[in-house]
Parts: sequence; C-alpha cells; structure tokens
Amino acid sequence: MRAGRKSVALVAGAAVVVGLAGCSAGGSADGKTQITWFKLTETAETANEAIAQIVSDFESENPDIDVVVEERAVDAHKDALRTTLGTSGAPDIFFSWAGPGLGGEFIEVGASLDLEKYYEEFGWADRFSEATLETVTQYGQYDGVPYTQRGEALFYNKDLFAKAGVDAVPTTYDELVAAAEKLKAAGITPIQFGGTVNWHVMRLLDSILETKCGSDGYQALVTHEASWADEECVTETFTEFEKWTSEYLNPGFISINNDESSALFYSGEAAMALEGDWFNQVIRDNGMDESTVGLMPFPTGTGRLYGFNENNYISSNSENPDAAAAFLDYLTSEDAQKTFIAAFGSQSVNVNVQAEGGSELDQAWTPIFENATGIYMNNDQNLSLAETTEYWRIQNLVATGELDPADAGSEFQKFLDQQ
Amino acid sequence: MSASTVPTAPRARRRPPASRGRARRFTHVGFVAALPFLAPALAAYIVFVVGPMIESVRLSFFEWSGFQGAPQEFVGLKNYVRIFTQDPVFWTALTNTVIWVVLSLVIPVALGLVMALALNRPLFGRNAFRSLFYIPGVLAPIAIANMWRWMYNPNFGVGVTLAEFFNAPWIADIQWLGDKNIALYSIFAAFVWQIAGTNMVLFLAGLQSVVPEHVEAAKLDGANAWQVFRNVTLPALRPVTVVVVVLTIINSIKVFDLIVGMTGGGPAQSTQVLALWSFTQSFGNHEYGMGNAIATVLLVITLIIVVPYMVWTARQEKNS
Repeated sequence: MRAGRKSVALVAGAAVVVGLAGCSAGGSADGKTQITWFKLTETAETANEAIAQIVSDFESENPDIDVVVEERAVDAHKDALRTTLGTSGAPDIFFSWAGPGLGGEFIEVGASLDLEKYYEEFGWADRFSEATLETVTQYGQYDGVPYTQRGEALFYNKDLFAKAGVDAVPTTYDELVAAAEKLKAAGITPIQFGGTVNWHVMRLLDSILETKCGSDGYQALVTHEASWADEECVTETFTEFEKWTSEYLNPGFISINNDESSALFYSGEAAMALEGDWFNQVIRDNGMDESTVGLMPFPTGTGRLYGFNENNYISSNSENPDAAAAFLDYLTSEDAQKTFIAAFGSQSVNVNVQAEGGSELDQAWTPIFENATGIYMNNDQNLSLAETTEYWRIQNLVATGELDPADAGSEFQKFLDQQ
Repeated sequence: MSASTVPTAPRARRRPPASRGRARRFTHVGFVAALPFLAPALAAYIVFVVGPMIESVRLSFFEWSGFQGAPQEFVGLKNYVRIFTQDPVFWTALTNTVIWVVLSLVIPVALGLVMALALNRPLFGRNAFRSLFYIPGVLAPIAIANMWRWMYNPNFGVGVTLAEFFNAPWIADIQWLGDKNIALYSIFAAFVWQIAGTNMVLFLAGLQSVVPEHVEAAKLDGANAWQVFRNVTLPALRPVTVVVVVLTIINSIKVFDLIVGMTGGGPAQSTQVLALWSFTQSFGNHEYGMGNAIATVLLVITLIIVVPYMVWTARQEKNS
C-alpha cells in the first residue's frame, strides 16, 4: 500500500517536473529551440495560410528551430500581452501596433528587447523604409521589427455609383458628400460601418477631423498641443460627423459589428467601405467580384493617407532572442515578403519588394501610397487607452444624437484636462 | 399549554457550568478533528477568494498599469475621488446597476414563482415544460448574448420579420441595442429569459415543502386560493425565497457577460454597469487602481444589500 502510494507520488512528481520543464525551457523534446510568436488571427483566411506557409518555409531552412504560433482575436491578443509580458509566460516574439497609444505602453514598461545588435547584424536599417524605421526608434532604442505598413481608403462599388449617377470618383470632401447624397436619393446606403466595435466608426471621425483641421491641426490635437475645446474645426468635424451618421450610414449601424456591416458591402447593399489594404483579400475571400470595386483615398485635401504601422517585438526576457531575430529576419526577407504581401495587403515593409502583378484593385494601392505626403494615424493609436475610451464615448453620443456636436470638443477636453 | 411551555423552554437551554465547559472542550476538540478535512477548502478559499479580495481593496489605493514590474504608486483616496467626481461613466454604470437589481428582484423572481406555481399542478406535459423553461439557465451567457444579438439585428432580426408579418414598418426601425433609451432593457429581456427558469426550479423545490394537510386545513377553514397562497404557501417558501432573492441580487449586481456580448456597454456607454466598467478600467484602460476602486464600491454595495437582508430573514426564521 505504502509502496503503491510512493509510486503514485513519484509518477505525479515526475509529471509535474516534465510539465514544468516543457513550460520553461524554451526547447522542444527533440532538442530543437522553440520560439513562441503571439500574433493576431488575420481577417482573411488566405492571410492565415500565407503566414503558415512562411513559418513552414523558415522551419525547413532552420531545422533546429520550431516556431509556435499562437493566434488570437484583437481583444484576446491585447489581454494575452497584458497578462504575460514581463512574466515567464511571455512569448519570444509578440505582435503589436506601433502607435504610442496602442502598443507604446508595452515598450514603456520594458517588455521589448533593444534590437540594435540585430539591426547591425542583419543590416535591417537598409531593409526598411525611413517611415517604418521611425516607428522602431520612436521610443529611444530599437524596439521591434516592422511587420506591416497599412493604408486605409474608401472602397466603392462601381455599379452602385453608376446606378446613383455618380459619374466621377470624388476628389474633394464636398464631392464625396454630394456622391453620398446621390446614393441616398437612389435608395442605396452610401457607406457601411459597424458601431459595436467603436474603432470602425472612428475611422470616419478621424478622416473628417483631418479634413476639417488639416494635417497640422490634426497633429496638434492628438498630441494635446491644441485644445479640443477651442478649435472651431473640432465643432465642424463633429457637425459633419453627425450628418454622416444620421443620413449616410447603414440604419442601425450602432448595434452591429464591423463584420456584419461589411456584409452589406459584399452583397451590394452599401456603396462604400472605409477599410485598409487588407480588405482586398477579404473581399476576394467573401466572394465579391472585385472588378466591381474601386478605390480612392478619403478626400481630406491634406495629401496625407490614413494608416498605421504594426511591428513584431522580441520580449525583453526571451530566452532565445537569437532564434527569434533569425525568424524576424526571414519574415521580412524578400522571399517571405513576396508571399506576405500577396495575401496581406499592398505594401511590403522591405523596400526591395515592390507590389507586382496582382489584380487591378491590388495595383490601385501603389499610386495611393506613392502620392501620399504622409500618414495620419488612427486615433486609437495616437491617444492613450483611457482617452480612446472617452473619445469613443463622445463619438457615439454624437452619432446617436445624444450630444450636440458643438459640445463634443469641450466634453473631450474636460476629460483630457483631468488626466 | 402556554403556561407550562413558556417557562420550561429557557430552562431546557440552560446548562450547568461544568456542562458548558465540556461543550466548549467538545467544540474545540471537534474543530481540531475537523481541521484536516476543512484545511484544503479553507486554504483554497483564503488563497483564491479572501486573498484576491484583500488585494483588490489594497490596489484601489494605488495607481498601477497592471504590468508585471510596473511601479505601484500609493495615491490614497485619489481613485475614489476620480470615480465619484471625474469619471464620466461611473454614475451611469451605478444607475444601470441599480435599475438592473431592482428589475431583477421584480420580474424574473415573480415570473419564476408564477411558473413554479403553474407547473406544480397536475398538468399534461408538466415535465416537458419544466425542462423547456430551465434550458436557458444552463446555456453559457455569452451564447445567449449571441442568440439575442442575432434576434435584435436591425437588418435581419426578429423586428424585420414582425414588421413584415404585421405590415408595420416602424417595428423594423426600432434599434433594440442601438437606442440609448431601450438598449439596457433589451439586454434585460435576455437576462429574464436566462434566469426565470432557474428561479422556477428553486421555487418548485420549495413548493415540495408545503404540507398538503395545511393547505387542506386552510381550505376547510374557508380560505380562498389567495388566502391559502398568502398564509400557507408563501410562509413555507420563505427559506427558498431567501436563496432566490440573494442569488438574484448577487447575479444582477455582477452582471457582465450578457452586456459584453450584446453591446459591450454601448452605445456611448449607455448600457455600462459597474462590473463591466471595473473590468474595462482595469483590463481595457490599464487603470488598475480605478478598476479596483470600482470593484470595491461594488463589494460594499453588495454587502450593504445582502447582509442586512440575510440577518433580517434569519431573525424572521427564528421568530417563526
């Protein structure tokens, strides 16, 4: 009996030890170095397949390294980072947005390893554009390796535009409003948004803010150098925003999410969608005839393109930073990037990889990026998390007619002043 | 009868000093004997319930981003001052929580009792009905949220079907989850659907303790149906009513998943409640101090409501 108990205890103890070893050693049973990569689950299934292919190719070339990919939806990914970074459960590599508001906090708490050594070793400084490198060096050291450079623009349904009598693609904000009016008169929903995920509708508000305040005004507001309460353009922005939400958006937008509202675009019920370059693949995956889809930048009049960057960071307590850096080197190599941008969007972070071939819609992004004079970033990346929560509350109050647009700026500034 | 029983009752309870000492020793010995059996559960309770509760209250006096290694700065009552005087959402969340608790004590409790009374009678298909009404109680709240969000969908939900059926387009225009004035009640409807069946089952169990002879005796004395219910059934249901009311208060004060799944607290934080706002401040905004201050307020409110009610019902029970 006693011997039996001892055996059970030994087996249980051994199991715990083996389990713990598996958790902490960063190596797999066959002696390979194992690195973990926390990333987002991509919207387009094709994009997920492309990542799997790149990982597989890397492992073939580096048989001593295993890459374990853990994918999560946006909010689950943020939660995973918050609860693991800085602990022994942190991944070797983690994806994050590059903006100071959304992503910067992880850097500030020391979760990211300074990669200066690897930038020199792999010559990364020459591989990436100045714009993407700025997102790496903005916190004072080399934090992260560029992953994507995203642009966002208006996708439009050519057939619905023709049906509504919109003969020319709008190039000014007034022309865009006129087109929306024509579409509405023709019984077509001008533009679709899903309001339960606040960031979707935020794109419209951000773009109108850039239109009404100009690029300098936009930057001054989001960096708190200007007061939201004092700038007349803020009131103009919220006034225009209220007009769009009350007249031109899909009815009931506030109670559906982005996937549900995007279905209105795929099915030809809504004429426009304000989406990023990833949407090309999403359109294809959802069976929409992309030859009926056109693309135009939101006509802000400033020349800047709406967009943001995403990077992959190596955890400061990674036990295998060399293997992690080797993987990131492969991920941003010319070979991998060709596979990557075929499924992920229009632009490669590797300056030596240009978008070639692809459909007419894919090619439409190239001049948009080339002609852009800069980037105005999504405000959930510019603002801190708490500020973003309040920005969305005010956005939705105006969108639902609960707050006078004239009071929106001062309401937001009141919150900023209390921070 | 009363003359003989009243004086004897206290005498029966009184013990001589030696006997009380023995009882204390027995109690002490009993506790020691029980300790090995209690210890694992007690340890788990202290580590996983009491510990985090104390830690949560402690953190409410600090400013902390929640990250491992990030500094925790003592700020005293600042977080409480902020939530009471500066937080633009806190009072909305508190009001919604109070509305939710009050409605929960009226609608699903009453509905559960009515369903239990109905299904306690000999009725064809009684068990099938009981199962049918109980099923929502075993579903995951997030699944219920998805089902109801689908029903409320403005593009293809039940409103559209009803509008076509009744030829009343205005029904399709109702924004069940998008209208600030009705969104909270739309979610509450799902809550009632979820919880009424569970209340029914508890009341059904309680109804088994109603002594049929008492009902018969009341009827023989000429009591009508209401009088039987008021004077016989309801007093017999008191213990189970305590359970239902306490569980309802606790469940409704900490309502979270249905709101996350249906509106996320929107539109414009109009369906926000304290439990979700505490979570949002901690995990969404990385304001752990604020989040824990809200959680502490929630804890205090729960204790203020639940403890006096339980003390009162215990006294009622003792007196009866």
